[in-house]
Amino acid sequence: MKEAEFASANRWLLPDAVDEVLPPRAAALESLRRQVLDSCERWGYELVVPPVIEYLDSLLIGTGPDLDLQTFKLTDQLSGRLMGVRADMTPQAARIDAHQLQYAGPARLCYLGTVLNTRPEGPGRSRNPLQLGAELFGHAGVESDVEIIALMMDVLRIAGLPSPHLDIGHVGIFRALARDAGLDADTESRLFDCLQRKAAGEIGELLQAVPAGPARDRLAALADLNGSVDVLNQAGEQLAGAGEEVQTALRHLWALATAVERHVPDVTLHFDLAELRGYRFHTGVVFAAFVPGHGQEVARGGRYDRIGEVFGRSRPATGFSADLKTLAALGETGGERERRGILAPWGDASDLVTAIRELRANGERVVVQLPGQPVHPDELGCDRQLVEKDGAWQVAPL
Amino acid sequence: MTETLTIALSKGRILDDTLPLLAHAGVEPRDDPDSSRKLVLDTSEPGVQLVILRATDVPTYVEYGAADVGVAGKDVLLEHGGAGLYEPLDLGIARCRMMVAGYPGANAGRGKVRVATKFVNIARRYFAEQGRQVETVKLYGSMELAPIAGLADLIVDLVDTGNTLRANGLEPLEHVADISSRLIVNKAAMKMKHRRIKAFTERLADAVGVQAA
Repeated sequence: MKEAEFASANRWLLPDAVDEVLPPRAAALESLRRQVLDSCERWGYELVVPPVIEYLDSLLIGTGPDLDLQTFKLTDQLSGRLMGVRADMTPQAARIDAHQLQYAGPARLCYLGTVLNTRPEGPGRSRNPLQLGAELFGHAGVESDVEIIALMMDVLRIAGLPSPHLDIGHVGIFRALARDAGLDADTESRLFDCLQRKAAGEIGELLQAVPAGPARDRLAALADLNGSVDVLNQAGEQLAGAGEEVQTALRHLWALATAVERHVPDVTLHFDLAELRGYRFHTGVVFAAFVPGHGQEVARGGRYDRIGEVFGRSRPATGFSADLKTLAALGETGGERERRGILAPWGDASDLVTAIRELRANGERVVVQLPGQPVHPDELGCDRQLVEKDGAWQVAPL
Repeated sequence: MTETLTIALSKGRILDDTLPLLAHAGVEPRDDPDSSRKLVLDTSEPGVQLVILRATDVPTYVEYGAADVGVAGKDVLLEHGGAGLYEPLDLGIARCRMMVAGYPGANAGRGKVRVATKFVNIARRYFAEQGRQVETVKLYGSMELAPIAGLADLIVDLVDTGNTLRANGLEPLEHVADISSRLIVNKAAMKMKHRRIKAFTERLADAVGVQAA
C-alpha cells in the first residue's frame, strides 16, 4: 500500500508518540488533576495558566539548544515573528515571576497543562505530556529545595506511588571542577557526555589530555561518586582540595539530605554527583524520583538561579515537574473504579424532572434514557433505575 | 522481596566471550544458552536471569528497563545513540575496528560519494565531522558487494582481519572507531538497585582484569 493510501485509509491513527486518554482513565486522570492541584494550593502555590504558544524568543531565552530542538514552531501571521508551542512550562513560570507578578518576597507558582515535544523525551514517552509543575522563586537556601522535594513526593503519594527513590545531584560541582582543571569548552562538553554515560574508560582517556594533578584526579573521581548518603563522606575526602564553590555545594547536599529525611518519611535517598540532568539550564541541586518497575524518572527538578536574569529580574529559583499522564498510569491500582449511576426514563412531566434534578443535586449520577434507542446500562455505567411506583418516582435496583 | 537482576546478552561472539566473564563473577546459566530453546535462562545466582536477544535489540531492552543491564558492542551503542544508558565498563571482548573501506583510492575523490552501511548514523556523523557530504544507503549484510556491484563508492563496516575485504580487491581506507563490548546499565536500575549492580560491575571488572593479565 502506498504511503498516501495508507494515510487516507487510516485517518483515525494518531501520530507516533501522541496519545489520548479515554474513559474510564480520563475520569481517573481528571480526579488526580484536581487532587494534585488542591494539594499544591494547600502548600501555598498559586496556579498560573500560561498560553500554549508564545514568541519563541521568550520561550527559549536562557534555556540552551536542547529545548529549541524540542519546540514546535510556527510563524505569527500578525507580527511575522516565530512562535513556539511550549515544550516546557518552566520558562513561562519564570517569565511570569519576573515580569507579571514582581512580588517583593518569594513567589510560589504551580501550573498544569499540555506541552508538546518534537521528539519523545525518553523511550516510550508521550510527545504531548500533561506537565504538572511547581516553582519557588526568590529563595536561594536549602530550605526551598527541601520544600519543593517534599511537595514533589506528596504529589507522587497522591498519585499512588508511595515510596519512590529520590536521586540527588549537584551540577555546580562538575562546573567548578571543570573550571579548576582549565578544561576548554570542547573537552568539557565531551567529558559531560562521558559522565552522563558513566563511561569510565572513555573518561580516563579524555583526561589524559588534561595536565596531571589534583584537579584532574578530582574530575576522575566524580564518575564513581554515586550511592547512598555515604557518598557525601567519600566526596568530602576525595574533593577535599577543591575550591570553596565545591565545598559549599557539598555542605548544601548534606543539609538537604538531613532535612529531606525529616520532611519526607520513608524516602530512599541516592546521591549521584555525576548526574548532570539539565546541566545547561540548572545551576545547583538537581533531583529526580524513580519508582520500581519503571525504567525512567517519573518526576524531576532542580535549582536554576539565573534564568530570570534574561527577563530583567534575576531571582534564585527551584522547582519540579512531572507528566501527570505517566503518574496516573503508574499509580493505577488495577481494579477499575466501580461506576454508579441511575437510569431514568425520558419525560417532561414535572414530577419526573424534579425527581431527576433532586437526585443530581444530591450528587447522584443520573443518565436519561433516550427514546427509540436500545439501552445498555453497563455502557452507561448505571446500577440502578428510576421507576414510578405508587404515583411517586423511586430509585430501584436495575 | 529479593531484588532481581535481568541481564541482556546477544547470541554469537558476544555471548561466547561474555559467559566466561560472568562465570568469573559468579553468574552461570543453568541451561546451555547455545542448545536451550529457552529465551529466559535462570542462573546459579538466585534472582539473576539472562535474556538472549538480537545484538541490536540489547540497548532497546535496557533503555526501556525491560532488562537492568546488558552487554552490547560499541558499534551498536554508537548507532543507537546511547544517551539514555550508562556504560560503566569496557569488557574488552569482541574487539574489532569500524572502518571506511572500498577500492584503493576510492575515498580520495571530490564530489558526492555514496556510502553503503548497516551503520547509517555513525557514517553520517563520521563524514560530517570530516566536512564531507555523503549519501548513505542502508544495507543489512554483505557490505563488500556494494562497491563491487557499483551500488556504492565506499562502505562503513566492522573489520576484524580484513581478509574478506582483500579477497574482493577492497581495502580498509579510514579508521572510524575502535569497537569492543560494553556493560550497559539502565539509569533507573542503577539508582534503585545500586548495591547489587555496583557489586556486579566490580566483580565483572575484576574478571576483565584477570582475563587481560
